[in-house]
Amino acid sequence: MEDTPAVQINNLVKEFPSPFRKTKIRAVDDVSLTIMPGEVYGLIGPNGSGKSTTMKALLGLLRPTAGSCHVFGQNSLKTDSRQEIGFLPENPYFYKHLSGEETLRFYAKLCGMRGKALNNHVDKMLEMVSLEDARKRRVGGYSKGMLQRIGLAQALIHEPRLIILDEPTAGVDPVGSREIRDLIVQLKDKGVTVFLCSHLLEQVQEVCDHVGIIFNGKIVKAGPLEELIAIEDQTEILIKDAGPRTLARIKAVIADSENADFVSMGKPRTTLERLFLDEAKKSQANTMTTEQKGGDHA
Amino acid sequence: MRRNAFFSPARILVIASHTFTHLVRMKVFYFLGVFAVLMLAASFFEMPWSRTTEDSAEQELIVLKSTAMGAMAMFSILFAIAATALLIPKDLEDRTLYTILSKPVPRLDYLLGKLAGVLILVTVSLLLMNGMLSIILHFKTEELLLVEMAKAEALGWTAEHLESRLSDVAQQGVTWTLQAGIGAILFKAMVMASLALLISTFSSSTLFTIVIAVVIYFMGHFTEDARNYWLHSQSGGVSKELKMMTQGIALIFPDFQLYNIIDSTIEGKKVPQGIFTRLAVLTLFYSGIYSVLAWFTFRKKEF
Repeated sequence: MEDTPAVQINNLVKEFPSPFRKTKIRAVDDVSLTIMPGEVYGLIGPNGSGKSTTMKALLGLLRPTAGSCHVFGQNSLKTDSRQEIGFLPENPYFYKHLSGEETLRFYAKLCGMRGKALNNHVDKMLEMVSLEDARKRRVGGYSKGMLQRIGLAQALIHEPRLIILDEPTAGVDPVGSREIRDLIVQLKDKGVTVFLCSHLLEQVQEVCDHVGIIFNGKIVKAGPLEELIAIEDQTEILIKDAGPRTLARIKAVIADSENADFVSMGKPRTTLERLFLDEAKKSQANTMTTEQKGGDHA
Repeated sequence: MRRNAFFSPARILVIASHTFTHLVRMKVFYFLGVFAVLMLAASFFEMPWSRTTEDSAEQELIVLKSTAMGAMAMFSILFAIAATALLIPKDLEDRTLYTILSKPVPRLDYLLGKLAGVLILVTVSLLLMNGMLSIILHFKTEELLLVEMAKAEALGWTAEHLESRLSDVAQQGVTWTLQAGIGAILFKAMVMASLALLISTFSSSTLFTIVIAVVIYFMGHFTEDARNYWLHSQSGGVSKELKMMTQGIALIFPDFQLYNIIDSTIEGKKVPQGIFTRLAVLTLFYSGIYSVLAWFTFRKKEF
């Protein structure tokens, strides 16, 4: 595994001047974090907590008041560091006059791609984000979910080793949101480092393996997700098709134990999102079957 | 990690061609319809004293050229200022600037690409307008030459007199002098585009950029007069510091009186090549200075 961290933020401070006050507003206060290659890191916090400012500093769009940001060992203020970064901003808008394909071609050319490699990459990215059918359509006519997906494609067009996503599923419906999450998981499997900012906690929990919690510009908690969310003194057992007698015996065993206490027992619940996605899939399948039957009948 | 070129002409070209496409798809070329109507109207114009003075044919051609080149100057300056002032704030507002600058794109390449895109648009517009003007002017000149020949026959002019008249009329037609005048219009637009680019790097709105650029444009036409008046009004000679200060002001407010060869070319007067070359060098100097200043402001700008 590579030793150089994908992201290294050291004691980052960012202050903005306040228009009518002598004192400055401190948006990021002594933030330090390290993301190793291949990790999916989620920075979570409420609106205005300093997530986007941290990302902008990492992209060289803002200059740190103090501290430093490095991407694969390269200072983020240097243009060279951006060769390894793909960025999807929050609520991205692209040039409305370009089609999806033209948008990707433009960003690919900016990264120095030309000829056959460029064409192949554009096709590959459009396929990956399932926008092949909309490749000739102007981006101005894209839905919110499509915009996020074309945004993700432009971020990945030059095959960066680090991808920075700022609220990647903001305003996207559950199906679109699921697709974007699946893409993040695919990237993780390919070994791409992902730095994700979000205030959608469930989403972060699902895809991230490291998490940092930021409040008022300060990191208040950080570490591997499993360690952070595990309740150390409790154990969860999932049993399938257990009858009342079995459950009663388990309870009795726990009651007989000297140190263990019974806490709760019940049926595990699915998430509302999973329920919605299952129902959406079913109704889509039903519609297709009805259409097929209608076609055969005709 | 690969080293990124500090300055890449290929990348500048990508941004320039994208900027040009952007502006074209904003349907800016619709103005050519207005220009064509204006040209046709001017070509049908006849002097009130038409056919009463000997040089009326030349006057008709001068009116045609004056109308066309006035419109060309107006459209090119309008495009140079408005398009440049619009592009960077729009990119920032739509956050497309974030996606561009988060790629390995040096800020200098971004700025020069945007400027080059606007200049390509102005150049193409001027070429198209020049084409229209040249066609109409050619046919109008041919028509007026025939009229002169008919006049010569009716009034019994000598061969020398006829030749002199034909030469005078032809001099007001499509000539290299006229092309030099159109070149000067392009130079003026180049200076204004780079100036608008500089203003837009620190301005907070498109409107502010346009207003300041227009004010500097008008001031640029009075810079020389104001400087001469002021320097001559100083009793006891001019100190070295004062001279340096006036030179500094001349840098901020470009001296557009130097571009007055446009008026001479409309009147059919020949422009020495040396003057045209000096104007080209001056334009490069002004554009270069404004672009470098724009880069200095933009390179540390926070978004």
